[in-house]
Amino acid sequence: MNHHWNRREFLKGSSTAAIAALAAGAPLAGFLASCNTSKIKATADTVILLWMGGGMAHTDTFDPKKYTPFTKGMMANDVLSTFKSVPTILDDVYFSEGLESIGKVMDKGTVIRSYVAGDMGHILHSRHQYHWHTCYKPPQSVAAPHIGSWISNQLGPVNSVIPAFIDIGQRFSLGEGEELKAFHTAGFLGNEFGPFLIPDPSAGLESVKPPVGMNINRFEKRNQLYNELMSKSPIGEMGSDYQKESMRRSMEQAYILLKSPEAAAFDLTKEPKESYDIYNTGKFGLGCLMARRLTEKGARFISVTTEYEPFKNWDTHDNGHTRLVDMKKQIDGPIAQLIKDLDRSGHLDRTLVILASEFSRDMMVEGRPELKVQEQVNQPDIIQELKNYGMHRHFTDGCSMLMFGGGIKKGNVYGKTADERPCKTVDKPIRIEQIHQTIYHALGIPQDTHYVIEKRPFYTTPDGLGKAEMDLFS
Amino acid sequence: MKQTLKNSFPRKKLVLVISSMILICLLQISLNGYAASNEPGTANGLFWLWRFLGRLHPVAVHFPVALLLFAAILEMFTFKNFNSNLRPGIKIILAAGAIAALLSTIMGLLLSKEGGYEKELANLHQWTGIATAAIGSIAFILLHYILKQDKKNLISFYRSLLFISAIGVAAAGHFGASLTHGKDYISATLPWSKDYDASTKGNFDISTFKNDTAKLTKQQAIELNVQVRAILAHNCYKCHGPEKIKGDLRLDRRDMIFKGGENGAVVIPGNPTGSDLFRRISLPSSHKDAMPSKGKKLSDGDIAIIQFWIQKGAPWPDSSEKSIFRLAPLAPRDPALPVATDKLSNPIDLWTNQYFVKNKINWPAVIDDKTFLRRVSLDLIGLLPSPEELEKFTADKRTNKRAILIRQLLNRQDDYSSHWLSIWNDALRNDYTGTGYITGGRFNITDWLYKSLRSNKHYDQFVKELINPTDASKGFIEGIKWRGVVNASQRTEMQAAQNVSQIFLGLNLKCTSCHNSFISDWKLTDAYAFANIFSDTSLEINRCDKPTGKFTGARMLWKELGAIDSSAKRNVKLAQLATNMVQPNNGRFYRTIVNRIWAQLMGRGLIEPVDVMDNEPWSQDLLDWTASNFQKNNSDIKELIYLLTTSNTYQLPSVGLKDASKIVSQQFQFNGMLRKRMSAEQFSDVASTIIAPIFVDSMLMYRPEYTKGPLRPIWSRASLVANNPFLISLGRPTRETVSTSRESQSNLLQALELTNGDRFNAMIKKGAIAWKKQYVSSDKIIKEIYSRALGREAQPSEYTIAKKILGTEPSTDAIEDLFWIILLLPEFQIIY
Repeated sequence: MNHHWNRREFLKGSSTAAIAALAAGAPLAGFLASCNTSKIKATADTVILLWMGGGMAHTDTFDPKKYTPFTKGMMANDVLSTFKSVPTILDDVYFSEGLESIGKVMDKGTVIRSYVAGDMGHILHSRHQYHWHTCYKPPQSVAAPHIGSWISNQLGPVNSVIPAFIDIGQRFSLGEGEELKAFHTAGFLGNEFGPFLIPDPSAGLESVKPPVGMNINRFEKRNQLYNELMSKSPIGEMGSDYQKESMRRSMEQAYILLKSPEAAAFDLTKEPKESYDIYNTGKFGLGCLMARRLTEKGARFISVTTEYEPFKNWDTHDNGHTRLVDMKKQIDGPIAQLIKDLDRSGHLDRTLVILASEFSRDMMVEGRPELKVQEQVNQPDIIQELKNYGMHRHFTDGCSMLMFGGGIKKGNVYGKTADERPCKTVDKPIRIEQIHQTIYHALGIPQDTHYVIEKRPFYTTPDGLGKAEMDLFS
Repeated sequence: MKQTLKNSFPRKKLVLVISSMILICLLQISLNGYAASNEPGTANGLFWLWRFLGRLHPVAVHFPVALLLFAAILEMFTFKNFNSNLRPGIKIILAAGAIAALLSTIMGLLLSKEGGYEKELANLHQWTGIATAAIGSIAFILLHYILKQDKKNLISFYRSLLFISAIGVAAAGHFGASLTHGKDYISATLPWSKDYDASTKGNFDISTFKNDTAKLTKQQAIELNVQVRAILAHNCYKCHGPEKIKGDLRLDRRDMIFKGGENGAVVIPGNPTGSDLFRRISLPSSHKDAMPSKGKKLSDGDIAIIQFWIQKGAPWPDSSEKSIFRLAPLAPRDPALPVATDKLSNPIDLWTNQYFVKNKINWPAVIDDKTFLRRVSLDLIGLLPSPEELEKFTADKRTNKRAILIRQLLNRQDDYSSHWLSIWNDALRNDYTGTGYITGGRFNITDWLYKSLRSNKHYDQFVKELINPTDASKGFIEGIKWRGVVNASQRTEMQAAQNVSQIFLGLNLKCTSCHNSFISDWKLTDAYAFANIFSDTSLEINRCDKPTGKFTGARMLWKELGAIDSSAKRNVKLAQLATNMVQPNNGRFYRTIVNRIWAQLMGRGLIEPVDVMDNEPWSQDLLDWTASNFQKNNSDIKELIYLLTTSNTYQLPSVGLKDASKIVSQQFQFNGMLRKRMSAEQFSDVASTIIAPIFVDSMLMYRPEYTKGPLRPIWSRASLVANNPFLISLGRPTRETVSTSRESQSNLLQALELTNGDRFNAMIKKGAIAWKKQYVSSDKIIKEIYSRALGREAQPSEYTIAKKILGTEPSTDAIEDLFWIILLLPEFQIIY
């Protein structure tokens, strides 16, 4: 049998299935075709989200302030940054020490220094992450889709054999795993648009090859005999049911993916050693490598995370300075290399790469200056130990993001935070609705895209509000 | 040119055509006279042959349509070279097309005498048809003439006629199709068609009033007004309603709409074109004044209704209390059961029979024993019958053996409870893991739920204990509390109001818990009054998450359901709510559960979606009687299931749908159970019993008594384990929100999980090793797997294929492959 799945067919198939699925389920009922009233010219086909789960302090990463080295007995309130500032390729733009490589590719992108995270009272990382990824504050009375699911639903895959929404690096067996699951979902859009999960990129190939111990011949034979037996089964005479049809189609898609040459994109061992080594700073770095390989073969939305685990990675409730040295090592080389590689291969023009975190951190302020939340981290006013030296409190009023490619301005700095504590946004505040709409805009997805669920319109961003920030585009 | 034409036209043939056209017209007139002399509307007097030929018209017309269009298409390829080698072909095709058109026209005229067609459209069709036949014939004669006499100057005239006839035949075909299938047969399927979403369709048919200059009757005025308000509600209230008053204009109230907005009056009764409202909705959406400024332009039909309404003086009767939204009656209703026949005695069947008679549906024969046993086992206990059970059952000669079997299945307490647990866990969003547990903001009710199902707790008591709970059952109304500040419409009291009304009353309060609903008559205060029952104090009303400073008391959604003491403590209010809710007078409550159970068994509710109980059932009598009967029968769920499954209605052959969206269609017609796909739990449990356990004892998150003894089974029911990627991919929801139906479509992620997922493959491997030991030979393995999984023997052709997989000495790899194939067959996974 010779299969030629092209993108149109896949799209057509998937959208009818989605419509059917939506219509079938009561929580999904009252479905109407989503509205695409205006045409936008897409500047990107692919999105790579580099997710710094746990709260990445802006003053210790992409928006450094006055550096105060550690000394015993220092005043905590004096500390704005625990790292030196280092120059980037852009004049008068500095990053925090340890991010030199990313600094060198900033001529290819924009640093946003004025992201303002949602206000949700008591800090729970997964809740703010839910908000970042769905644009809705939990809980919601209908299951809100992840941004990757919206994109998958609206655009389908770029290459029909590569799942449209791939999520690399997050395990769900850790603390708050259930809360993470709550937004790693296509929600009412239906499982079809849910994430294809690759918790460990070095084992990514396992997810897309025939089962362990099965060679390709056996795999092909099994599939062939499956089709033969299916055609002989008497229920086949009962006409074409939508269930049967969708089973047949999805099994065929799986079969095609698992034996397709594109599956090799998931195989990191195929990467030349020198390149592999640059990326190999750990799970996150390898995730970046896989994202690059998948992008080259045609991916739609890929999320790569440093992984969120309570009190680990960017979730620095203590030892902030020391731990950030390590976190930066994990991200600096791979991200810079990802940008360079994509640029070199010409993919960066059509690939929007975003680096973000659910909120930032500060040594003193919890929440935001005028709307303080309950203090969750005990920070002594006078620092005696290194473990208290770092940005340990959750700060929502000024956060940094990066954007590269996909029509985004190059060599640009967007927004500004104050140079004195509180280091909050003072220019061009930008919120999650605008970020999402900017991403959708780059992909050509209209602002008012929505479904009618239980007779209520459910937009990509709440009430269809939020506008793409055109200033970010070149 | 004129001169040339006159002199050179082929007279003989022209005369022929003209005379045949005259003949057709004569035929038409004489037939008219014939029909008129008979009873109107009957054509029975017509000679049988004419009737026969007439009825061939819809078939015959396809010839001229195809031929004339084809000729025209071919003609286009000859633009460069008239004498192309296509020419002889075109000539033959055109000749055939012209003759076919003439014949079809005659047949059509015969058919029209049978009557029954919409007159205006039929006339249009008839005359386009006749004209096309004539023009097509003339075109042919011209062509013949051109070729014979080499009259090149006539080519463009000939071509014009040919193309006109092609257009004509297409138009006639379209009108004809509209006659047969209805005007909007094709266009109604388009998403932008008004009919695609019939929600704004009202009772008022504007076409019947179009040429009527008389004043509307009061009833007509009310209907028209309701229609207009429905249009305004769906398209305009969002910005011009109580929540937002853009341009200082509100369209939701009589006084407000006539007052107008910041630019003055928008409706001038009697003068549509002078009314700004009409002007702006009629503008193209690109115009800056066009309304709605956000969202879709109104359909032409809606615009026409607004225009007509203004023209008629914009009636908005004071007494117009009638809601624009359907609200199902609340009270129970107990219609008198139709008389039993010699064939039917089950009350369900008597109602179905009434429905079948009305809809001219014949009773098909009920399914055979094998199909019945498989279906009812999966539906009642979520498991497949073993080959031994099947054999015993088919051999059983007792006439009431199906009823006996149903009793036996219902009495398998743990099997029954484990199966229905999943359905109730979805509806009550009860799970072992999930959000909320991390901070103690959620409570598991599995122990209470399992035991309630096991003891067949009567439904009224069941709901009372959920609404006015003990610690063991409080999880449902306590909801999920996330740490931090939540939207006012998602505070736990409001979650309780939403979920209680959705699950027990089939009523959606989600809109209404944020603002007055646009899609029903429920108001924000209704939602808060209901939520207040679940609260110690009166909640401050928030509109769209903004505090209003207003408060309301505690109230039932329907005052007929009794009072709540607003000043009482929460537990007192909950007790009152519980009693009010389950009272026999709350017909909606009993209809809701009956509809849910019906949907579980029959693949579709009497009402769909099952959470929208204001929609119309396909048989109101059946629903009402069953609900009343259920309530009188102590709200015994097992008895309800017994009643339904012992009916012939349940035992009809299953029906497959090509398109899942048809399930919720309000035009649905019942013909038998809709085929379902096994749920995640059914699939896992069945695979576990026939091949090897997917979930084992150590994974149990809840331990019913039977899993505690030394004789406990090694495998675990999927409903008793924590959610996991395997079950999620097969459709088990995460239960963050209540859900009342599962996705039954397959998708790529699911297929991948089943193709190379660890859990599934490990199970297959384990099974293959065991089977190889136990059964050794290929023949035995094929026989066993077919009998256990599909309840039958392999047909010879299947046996050959299976043998190809296994060979004579089967390896475990080969056995794995066979298992995998069988488990993934639609025949295995579909409940038919």
